[in-house]
Parts: sequence; C-alpha cells; structure tokens
Amino acid sequence: MEPLKTIRPELLTMSEEQIRVLMPYFVVFGGAIVAMLGSVLKKLSPKWPVFIITLATLFAGVWVSIGLIPEGPVTLFNGMMAADSFSNFFNTVFLLAAALSVMVSFRYLDREGLQLPEYNVLILFSVLGMMLLASALDFIVLFIALELMSLAVYVLVGFRRADRRSNEAAMKYFILGSAASAVLLYGTALLYGCTGTTAIKGVVHLAQAEPAAVTPVFVLGVAMVVFGFLFKVAAAPFHMWMPDVYEGAPVPVTGFMTTGLKAAAFAAFFRVFINLGLAQGATEVVQRHFHDIFWVCAVLTMVIGNFVALTQTNLKRMLAYSSIAHTGYLLVGFVTGTRSELGFAAGTMYVVAYAIMNLGAFAVLTLLSGKDDSGLNLHDLSGLSRRHPILAFALSVFLLSMAGIPPTAGFAAKYLLFSSAVQAGEISLVVIAVLCSAVSVYYYLRVLVYMYMHEPIGSPQTLRVSIWAGVAVAAMVVLTLQVGLIPERMVNIAKKAVIGM
Amino acid sequence: MAGIDTHFLSWIVFLPLLFAFAGLLIPAKGTAGQTAMRLWTLLGSLITFGVSVSLYINYRPEGADFQFTETVPWISTLGASYALGVDGISLWLILLTTFLMPLAILGSFSAIENRVKEYYFLLLALETAMLGAFVSLDIFLFYVFWEAMLIPMYLLIGIWGGKERIYAAMKFFLYTLVGSLLMLVAIFYLAHQHKLQMGAYSTNILDLYKLQLEGGTFWSAQSILFLAFALAFAIKVPLFPLHTWLPDAHVQAPTAGSVILAAVLLKMGGYGFMRIGFPIFPESVAYFQLTFMILGTIAIVYGAWVAMVQPDIKKLVAYSSVSHMGYVIIGLFSLNEIGVTGSYYQMLNHGISTGALFLLVGVIYERRHTRDISAFGGISKVMPMFAIVFMIITLSSVALPGTNGFVGEFLILLGAWKVNPGLTAVATTGVIFGAVYMLWMFQRVMFGPVTNPENQKLKDLSLREWTVLAPLVAAVFVMGIYPNLFFEKLEPSIQRFIMKSTTNRTAPPQSLFSDNSK
Repeated sequence: MEPLKTIRPELLTMSEEQIRVLMPYFVVFGGAIVAMLGSVLKKLSPKWPVFIITLATLFAGVWVSIGLIPEGPVTLFNGMMAADSFSNFFNTVFLLAAALSVMVSFRYLDREGLQLPEYNVLILFSVLGMMLLASALDFIVLFIALELMSLAVYVLVGFRRADRRSNEAAMKYFILGSAASAVLLYGTALLYGCTGTTAIKGVVHLAQAEPAAVTPVFVLGVAMVVFGFLFKVAAAPFHMWMPDVYEGAPVPVTGFMTTGLKAAAFAAFFRVFINLGLAQGATEVVQRHFHDIFWVCAVLTMVIGNFVALTQTNLKRMLAYSSIAHTGYLLVGFVTGTRSELGFAAGTMYVVAYAIMNLGAFAVLTLLSGKDDSGLNLHDLSGLSRRHPILAFALSVFLLSMAGIPPTAGFAAKYLLFSSAVQAGEISLVVIAVLCSAVSVYYYLRVLVYMYMHEPIGSPQTLRVSIWAGVAVAAMVVLTLQVGLIPERMVNIAKKAVIGM
Repeated sequence: MAGIDTHFLSWIVFLPLLFAFAGLLIPAKGTAGQTAMRLWTLLGSLITFGVSVSLYINYRPEGADFQFTETVPWISTLGASYALGVDGISLWLILLTTFLMPLAILGSFSAIENRVKEYYFLLLALETAMLGAFVSLDIFLFYVFWEAMLIPMYLLIGIWGGKERIYAAMKFFLYTLVGSLLMLVAIFYLAHQHKLQMGAYSTNILDLYKLQLEGGTFWSAQSILFLAFALAFAIKVPLFPLHTWLPDAHVQAPTAGSVILAAVLLKMGGYGFMRIGFPIFPESVAYFQLTFMILGTIAIVYGAWVAMVQPDIKKLVAYSSVSHMGYVIIGLFSLNEIGVTGSYYQMLNHGISTGALFLLVGVIYERRHTRDISAFGGISKVMPMFAIVFMIITLSSVALPGTNGFVGEFLILLGAWKVNPGLTAVATTGVIFGAVYMLWMFQRVMFGPVTNPENQKLKDLSLREWTVLAPLVAAVFVMGIYPNLFFEKLEPSIQRFIMKSTTNRTAPPQSLFSDNSK
C-alpha cells in the first residue's frame, strides 16, 4: 500500500469485478438492514418475516460465497481487504454456522419467551463481522471487524435478560473481551509506530527489508497482537472467561460462538500470521519466538482443556472445556503449519470439522434443554437412547467425532493435523496431543454411558423437534460421516483456500 | 450382484453391515419382531460365512502373495488407499470370524431380551470392522477398522453386560485407545518416512515393507516405532503386564461379546504383529526378541496361577486366555517356521476352544444366573450331554493330544526351544498348570454329589444349544487330527512372513516338515 497523498479517483469507484467479489458482504449487510426494518413492523408479527429474511440472507450468502471460492484473489479498498478463496471458504463456514444456529434457535426462542427479532439481526451483524475478519489485510479493518463481531455477540450472550447467569456471562465477556481488544489495538499501535503502516503485508515487508526495524518494541507489538488473538480463541492461559460465558449464554448462542467465533478468530489468525512472521523468509527472531509461544500455549491449552473437562457434569460446561482442548489441537496446526506439506490447510480443515461436529452437538443440546437451559446435566441424559434414539445417535456421532474416533470428520481432521505435525518434526508435541485426546475420550464416552447404559429416569417427556432443527441436525450428522469417510474433497478445498491467499 | 468378482473382499467385509442396516427396517416390537430380528441376523452371518468359504476354496497357496486384491485411491494427499487383499495369514482368521459369528448370534438368542434390535445391529457392525481389519493392506484403513471395532464392543459390554459393565466397558475402551493412538503417531511417521525415501506418501503396508529404517539400538527410529506398534498390539493380545482390562471385559460382557472378544479381538493383536509389527521392523524384532519372550513366558505362568484361584468360571477362562495368548507371543517371537506356525495355529485354537468355553458358561449361566464354581457340583448327573461337551472343550484347552490345542502348543514349544531352551522349560510348566486349573474347575463343577438343590432340575442342552456347540466340537477334532488341512494354505505365507521378518532377508526359509532333523 502506498500512502495516500491526494484523493485518487480510481479508489472511489469500484470495478465490476470488485463489486462481484463483494457480493457476499452486500448480501449479508442488506439482509441485516432489511431484517432490522422488518423487526419494527408493528402490525405484523415480526417473528416469521425476520426469520425468513435471515435464513434467506444466510443461504443466499452461502450460495454466493461458494461460487466465489474458485476465484483468484482480488484486493479491495487500496489493499485493506482481500477477497480470495480463503475468505470465501471461511465465509461459507460462518454463514452455514449462522444459518444452522438460526434454524435451531427458532423453537428455543419461542419456548424461552425470547422470540425477539433482534436475535436474528444480531446474528447477521456478527456474521458480517466474521466475514470481514477473515478478509482483513489491515490491522484497522481487522480491529473494526473484530469489534463488529464481538459487540453483537456480547448482546447475544446476555440475551436471556431475566437470567442472572446470562447477564453475568455477558458482563464478564464484555469486560474481558474489551480488555483483549485493547491489547490487540495497542499492539497494532506499536507496530504502526515502528513501521509507519497498518497494513499487515506492509509490516512484514518492512521487517524483512530492514532487520534493524525489529526492535524490542516491534516484538512487543507482535506479542500483544498474538495475545489479543489467543484471548479471542480462548487458548490457555487466556481461557478463563470461556467456560462461564459458554455456560451462561443461551444454548444455541453457545453453539454459534464455539463454531463461528472460533472459526473467525482462527481465520484471521491464519491470515495475519501466514503473512506476518511465520511466513517464509521472515526474521529468525520473530519466528523462533512464535514457535515457542505457540508450542507452550498449545500444550497448556490441550492439557488444561482436557483435564478440566474430565470433572464437569454439566454438558455445556464440558463442551466449553472441550472447546478449549480443540483450540489446543488447532494451535498444534499453527506451530507446524509452515513446515509441513499441507501447511495451514490441515488447520483449516480442522476448523471446518470442528464447526460441523460442534454445531451438531449444540443443536442437539438445544433440543434437549429444558426451561432456562436446565436439563443439561449428565444425569438428565440418562436413558436418552430409549426416550429419543435418533437424537441420542446424533449426539453420539458428534461426540465420537470430537473424540477423534473413525469414521468421522473429527478423526479425518485430526489425522491430517497430526500427520502434518509429524512431518514438521514436532513428534513430542504430537505425542502429547494424542495422549490428551485419549484423555478426552473418557469424558465424551461418559455421555454415551449415560445415554445408552443408564436406565431412563423420570417420566419420558415428549421432545418436540421442529422441522428446522431436525434438518439441521440431520445435515450435520451426514456431513460428519461424509467428511470422515471421504475427506479428500474437503482437504482439496482447504488446500486451495490456503494456497489462494 | 455387481462387481462380485472384482470386489470380492469388499462384499465379504460389508455384507454384515448391509444386513445390519437392512435389519433396522424390521419392526422389532413384540416377540414375533424380535424373533424376526434374530433370524435375520443369523441369516446375514451365515451368508457371510458362506461367501468366505468360497474365499477359502478359491485361495491358491501357490499363487500370488496377496490375492483378491482391490485398490482404490482414497486420500491421495496422505497416500492412503482402500487396499484389500488376502494371504494365508488373514485367510484363516477371516474364516474363524465368519465361522464363530453365527454361533455367537445363535448362542445369544435366549440370553438377550431387551433392546434386541440394537444388539444384533452392533454384532453385525462389529463383524464388518473385524473382517475389515483382517483384509486391509493399507495401514490407514487398518487403523480405521481397528478403531471402529471399539465402539460396538464398547456398547455391547456397556449395555448388555453384567453388574460392573460400565467400568469394564470404559476400561476396555481406554486401554485399547491409548495403545492405538501411539500407533497412530507411528503411522504418521512411517508415511512421512516413505515420502522421504520413496518420494511419495504411502500408507500401503506392502510399500512400507520396503522402508529402510535405522535400527539395532533402543533409541533408534525402528525400535521406537516398533514399540509404539507393539504397545497397541500387546494391549490387544493382551500381553502381561497390559492384560488387566481383559478379565473385567470378559466377565462383564454378554456371552456373545465374550466369545467375539476372546476368539477374534484378541487375535487382532497377534495378527497386527504378523502383518505390520514384524515385517516392517525386522531388526527391532530381533532386538526385543528376548524381552517379549520373557513377557510371554510370564504371561503363561502367571495367567495359569491366577486362573487357578478364581472363584468365577468366566474369570477363570479369562485368565486362561492370558496364559494361552502368552504361547502365541513366544511362538511368534521365536521367529522360526515351527514356532510361528504353532503360534498362528494356537490363535485359531484359542478362538475355538475359548469361544466354546464362554458359550458353555453362558449355557449354565442362563439356567442358574451364577457363575460361581462353588454354586455348582455334580452337574454331570443332571446335564450329562452338557458335561460331555464341556469335557471335550476342557481337554482341548488343556492341549490333550488329538485335540487342536495340542498341535499349537507342541509346535510353539518346539519352535521356542530352538531359540531359548531355558525359557521354554519354564513355559512348559504352564501346560501343567493349565491342566491343573481346568481339570480342577471341571471336577468341582461336574463331579461329586449335587449339593445345591437348585441344581437338581437343570435341563440338559436344548437343540439350539447343540447346534451352537456341535460345530465347535467338530472343529476341535478336525484341527487336532488333520492340521495339514490348515497348514496347506498357510505355509507359503508363513515362509514369506519369516523371510520378511528376519534381518537376513536372503536366507532360505526352513521348511516345516522336511528338515525336522536339524
């Protein structure tokens, strides 16, 4: 990016190509505005129109984004944003995650008396934030996208206004999240001070061209950016906020957060650090620092996540810790990304697999939860296989996938991730990782024990599964097994996405 | 049916699964539905057996190393392919599996009364996973089947098992999983090595045989990799001191579960050593030969001693498995043709006789709902036919000449003697202790006066139970009297196995029957 001295007219107009690659963003933004307008209709009940608009928007976005995946990179807005296969790949993931969450939430909101149109509108805005996050090439855009995403989610977390835990979670998340954003912003400021640019590529080029620019302040700036991100993905030791927030948030929102939010943070993480520091030819110091920081973080995250999850009896909390553990596995992909053949494609694939199985699991939990998100303790699932065999089967598939048992998506993704780590020579890290995943099997299987091996307790309540939720769960089961059995296609798409960046 | 010639093995592997899924459509409510479900499953397993018999007929021992091969690229990024093939080593284990499956299914007709549909679905799914593991020629595919076996078995133990079933199921799962995850890391490493040495990723087992790995010391790549695989296989076998999951799992599992577990799942360990562990890491096998032979000997003697003092018949049989599988290990690690052949034969024997023992224990348990040896006595007076069958199987387990057990144990001890006479002498005491615990148990259960009034009116074997047990009794004698039937199709594969697994790959293989004079 060259500094702007005068306003150049070509920057104010957009070529047709640019408009075309921006379509997913326009669609979601337009949809969000229309949904917002729809929600203020007084005479008509806004419930159905907003729901339909939201779903239509999200699926239109998915359709447009998938169409754009094979296309080459287009730089937008004077190099502040890129639309490439990587961003479109992730846009598809975000939009699908949002669509499924919306589908699953429909009856949940009815039941909880929370059927407010704002819910869907906020989801649309946070998705827009995620999409911008995955395509940001400039720290300023990155920050704005992050805030757009986070602010919407802060509200969603506190959506059960009458519930104290929900409020507590929202407050905690808001304060800690803001602090992390501040750290990230401060790191950006330091980088800007050292290099005179906020463009990610600009920072890297300067660091490569002038080794003298890599001052302690520069390293500090990079570190702060890293820590800001580690907070967002809830890697240990920055994970403390996560279990409380996940437990307090409404169930479908938790599902949305664990998938969409995490995928978005990792997408940005990948983009920033493939460009910065970890990329080939980057400075030695930064690279070595990164390696050590991520190595320690990965191990800590896996160990803490898995071992603490062992003792949880509430499913939501257990999945929150398991989510931390999965962040750890993803960080393994991060440590080794640059030195293996598949590169970051393995990590990208893992993000997708995790999104699929986790969305599915939370969809089932949403259906199972009682009033005020009760009924999600382990013993509430006793004998679920008798009461609702299909839901029990679906949940088993998702949990076995998270545990990495073949033939599921989780296994295929883990296989790729760990085998690329072995290629990179990080054998000790992989051994720690597989032992941690052996630990994880215990708590995932414990759910199966309750569902299949305990006698049903209480009166068999009749679960009403809406068509929307049913379709969502079925789709996730099929995807989990399909990616597990024939991972090739997904791997190729992920590879293309990473290379096309 | 389409592609039955070119995809013969795929058909065998996935037939049970097809039947399992079709069985889901049967409305299994009520007695009629349950009976339909049982018969359907039996039919499925019988058809699978029939197809596998034609595999036996068409297998040519003098032909190619691996026959009926199929290869379809699967995940090209990792070099994984869907590669299947059969040699003599997998052939008999496939037949063992398909032979025992209908018997296990028929044996649980009256024992399982709740959740019938799920039960039979899982049994058939398990059969597919086991067969898949035996025919995989790709280590990734092998791993997938290996792990996929765990889930149905876990559920079988955990849902239909005894009192401590959840503990036992969890222990079974975690033990096996820890071992196999380290194996997974070793698989990654092997695939990577293949890329470095041959220029492309491959997880095809036959490609991995050609790898040159530095070995000979404890910290060499080969040793570490071998240990990673050996851990997974030794847990499955199970080898002392990794055997502690077995008594729990065996005792708690329902009868069919115990039968399959003992007869087939334990063989996975031995098979793993033969297909993967030995030929890929020949130097390490030589390096660790003594260690494993010592562990095997300990397992033989220790298993026998512990079995002697068990008050529960099923637990006694479980520990006898530990002892018998110890023979398999010393036979394999003796690395000569006699020992390895005996060891392989012992795996089949153990499948037959221990499977039969578990079925017999199931028979008596269904009548009395206890397995305590002290609750019985004088059963031979009440159930004479049962006693006769029990006697035959007991003698086969004790390795009486004329029964299958004798052939296996004799060859193993002969083979091991050539390598290490001292250890073999110790192992031989296991034969004696084996006779002690089996016969003592038999005496306490069968002979003497009928002390317990509840035992007075026990019914003898029903027609269904006869149908289950008769093929096993027949197998005991056929295998004991005419072992050549088995060796015929086995010998070339065993010779190739020895050749690949000894560091001196050029040495001509010893023949089993021509140079006994040495």
